[in-house]
Amino acid sequence: MSNKNILNSRRSMLLVFSKFGTIIGMVLMFLAFSIAVPSIFPTIRNITNIVNQASLSAIIAGGLTIALIIGEMDLSIANVASFSGVLVTGLMVESGFPVWLAIIVVILIGGVFGMINGLIITKLRVNAVVATLGTGSIIGGISYAYARGVPIASGVPEAFKQISLGKSMGIPNNILIMGGVLFILWVFINYTEWGFQLRAVGGNPSASRLSGIKVDRIKILGLTIASMCAALTGILLASLIGSGTSAAADGYLMPAFAAVFLGSATLKDGDFHILGTLIGVLFISIGFNGLAIFGVPTYVQYFFRGGVLILAVGLSSVARTMASK
Amino acid sequence: MKHIDNVKAPLLQCKEISKSFGGVDALKKVDLDIFPGEVHGLIGANGAGKSTLIKIISGDITQDSGEIYYEGKPLVLNGPQDAYKLGFSFIHQELNLVPKFTIIENLTLGIKKESKFGLIEWKSEIEKTKEVLKQIGLNHSLDTVVSSLSVADQWLVSIAHSLMRNIKMICMDEPTASLSAEESSNLFQVIERLTSTGVSVLYVSHRLDEIMQLCDGISVLKDGVCVLTTEKSKISRDELVTAIVGREEKSVKKAPSQEYKNNQVILSTKNLTWGNKVKNVSIDLHEGEILGFAGLVGSGRTEFANLLFGVEKPDSGTMQLNGKPYYPKNVSDAIESGVGLVPEERRSQGLVLKNTVNFNINMINLKSVKVSKWIQLLSTKKTTAISRSLVERLQIKTPSVHTQVINLSGGNQQKVVIGKWLTRDLQVLIFDEPSRGVDVGARSEIHSKIRELAKDGKGVIVISSDNEELPFICDTVYIMAEGNLVGKLEGGDISKEAINYKSYEHVINRNTMKKEGRDEQ
Repeated sequence: MSNKNILNSRRSMLLVFSKFGTIIGMVLMFLAFSIAVPSIFPTIRNITNIVNQASLSAIIAGGLTIALIIGEMDLSIANVASFSGVLVTGLMVESGFPVWLAIIVVILIGGVFGMINGLIITKLRVNAVVATLGTGSIIGGISYAYARGVPIASGVPEAFKQISLGKSMGIPNNILIMGGVLFILWVFINYTEWGFQLRAVGGNPSASRLSGIKVDRIKILGLTIASMCAALTGILLASLIGSGTSAAADGYLMPAFAAVFLGSATLKDGDFHILGTLIGVLFISIGFNGLAIFGVPTYVQYFFRGGVLILAVGLSSVARTMASK
Repeated sequence: MKHIDNVKAPLLQCKEISKSFGGVDALKKVDLDIFPGEVHGLIGANGAGKSTLIKIISGDITQDSGEIYYEGKPLVLNGPQDAYKLGFSFIHQELNLVPKFTIIENLTLGIKKESKFGLIEWKSEIEKTKEVLKQIGLNHSLDTVVSSLSVADQWLVSIAHSLMRNIKMICMDEPTASLSAEESSNLFQVIERLTSTGVSVLYVSHRLDEIMQLCDGISVLKDGVCVLTTEKSKISRDELVTAIVGREEKSVKKAPSQEYKNNQVILSTKNLTWGNKVKNVSIDLHEGEILGFAGLVGSGRTEFANLLFGVEKPDSGTMQLNGKPYYPKNVSDAIESGVGLVPEERRSQGLVLKNTVNFNINMINLKSVKVSKWIQLLSTKKTTAISRSLVERLQIKTPSVHTQVINLSGGNQQKVVIGKWLTRDLQVLIFDEPSRGVDVGARSEIHSKIRELAKDGKGVIVISSDNEELPFICDTVYIMAEGNLVGKLEGGDISKEAINYKSYEHVINRNTMKKEGRDEQ
């Protein structure tokens, strides 16, 4: 009996660690950086900067959360984001689209990519990792072909750049957009019929089918949303850097995965959820920002990125196995 | 045929083996002797205890009491590896082969191979393998991929795999279930050749004619008791059937009511056919009728239900719902038409285990729990009100409607699945094995809910392999075998014995039955 108790208490300690570990780690990291570089790190300016930078990651990670909730993967999101940046600037500069129209068209095209991913996965029964690895490469290729390998920089309308650089009510637009998108995703997942069905399909596809849920359609929907979020991130990134550059957003893939997995272990038992994803994104952004301020060599940032990804997935699966025991 | 020398010591001897699960006796003081070189038939209805006995012999589970002797010495099996070491081999219906491996790769799987410099010496392996294959008469190239073989040949490969090591006894579970007559007789020849070399075979089958043809000794299990042990020469088929089915008092059941017969037919099928699983099945389901489907496992009942529920589409035949043609395109179409199904496997097919009671109960009723017509969001207030009322109505024991269903007991999980289907006012409800793995209390509660549904004028179909369950709740029982309807029982004629008899009668008189027509009463 006592042996079992020790085991149980050890288990519950581990569970607490995985549930609140990300938040505790985030606070510790914040304190450490604040003590180490008090003049730069804990300033309002830097904190705004962190959240601002986190905004783009949070939108793409929010979409990825949906793909993971339905039990699939999407490795093409970063390529979709990169291409969207190129396409949105291209449409404005070369095809003379007004800013609003270019943005809408690009988000819709992002949705089409997601739909194609979904069709390949559900109808051709290609494993999601393989399918999206493939489509990701193809989308990357389209991006280079469209831009002919040259960044589209000159002639980008000022109004477009102001989306990412500007503020409304004193808050950077990116933060507002991120807040809006995550709120919509949260409501969608938790309080709509489709959102409910997304969770059901992710939880048990066969029970969902026998409850009249059209599983394939729901999976396609989830991947479409993931891709649309990726497109929005790409657009905002192009606005931020003022140009459309092939592969500009490729680096968003790994942090997005790390954030979503970190978030799944946070507060819940390994379930993917939007609030957790936001916390995961903030954790990673604080880490990146602090390391950059410290001026650590680039390779350390790579270590951080990879380490966090493995830690995140590990925590997530530990949380899940322990919850199911 | 061989002469069994009963003076010889048995290879394996089970004495007074008892085993119970959760207070229910699965085996009660069962004796079983298997002699060297003997084919021993083990038969009995579903749930008679055959699998439990085999699991004990294979070391998967341990008996509560009783002893096993191996060549006269007491034997303690601490796990399947012990049975393996003694030279026992178990071939189940799901064959344990690697489908993508070739014959030789499968045969040498898990068997220590000779190697040189770390590379496998296939040459010597090939010699060994060829010898074994000659013994069982399998004429395929050793490089043939196993998945491309017929089921019969895959069985032979499985047997050959057993022979690659020093084998004493092979247990075969329903080997002919998916074999043709010719393939079966080929298998029997292999079995005879095996036993002539001294290997014993424990042969589990529902098919009495095979048992009569092949086995030297026969043991019959019924309700966990070994009711008969005999030699083939000393028993007739009829006696065997009597032993399996038993002749006891009819079980307690509900007063037969024929009222439903005046009601309208809700659902009917005519010559419904799907592959070779469902053949020309025609039924009528009335309002207020509880229609049972009995039959052995794999007789096509679940497949038939899947046709009614839009999971699969029939190859031919017609279905009618309320007198109109009914062809559900998919499950959601079936539900919208008013047909629901409580599936066989509640954990894998019925529930999203990691989600809450509330989530699972509201799964099929999302359209009517919106906040309002204008705000198309799900109302937590409405969903919890619905799930709370069902938790109360079905007496589901759960701390709260927000508890994950994974934390509930089997019976309560099953009630959650049933509750899900009560959120909508459906006309036809199909229950596939509604009380499997459910404790006695929950079982009778589930039965009373099923009766209530019928009283409300719904048409209810109950598929059950538990032949005590059907007499207890059904107005009509159809018996299915190999995809056909082979019998129909009504009202007072429904009894466990009658169902068992009809299930086996078909097996015995396989040829005569076909001529007699299917709806004889």
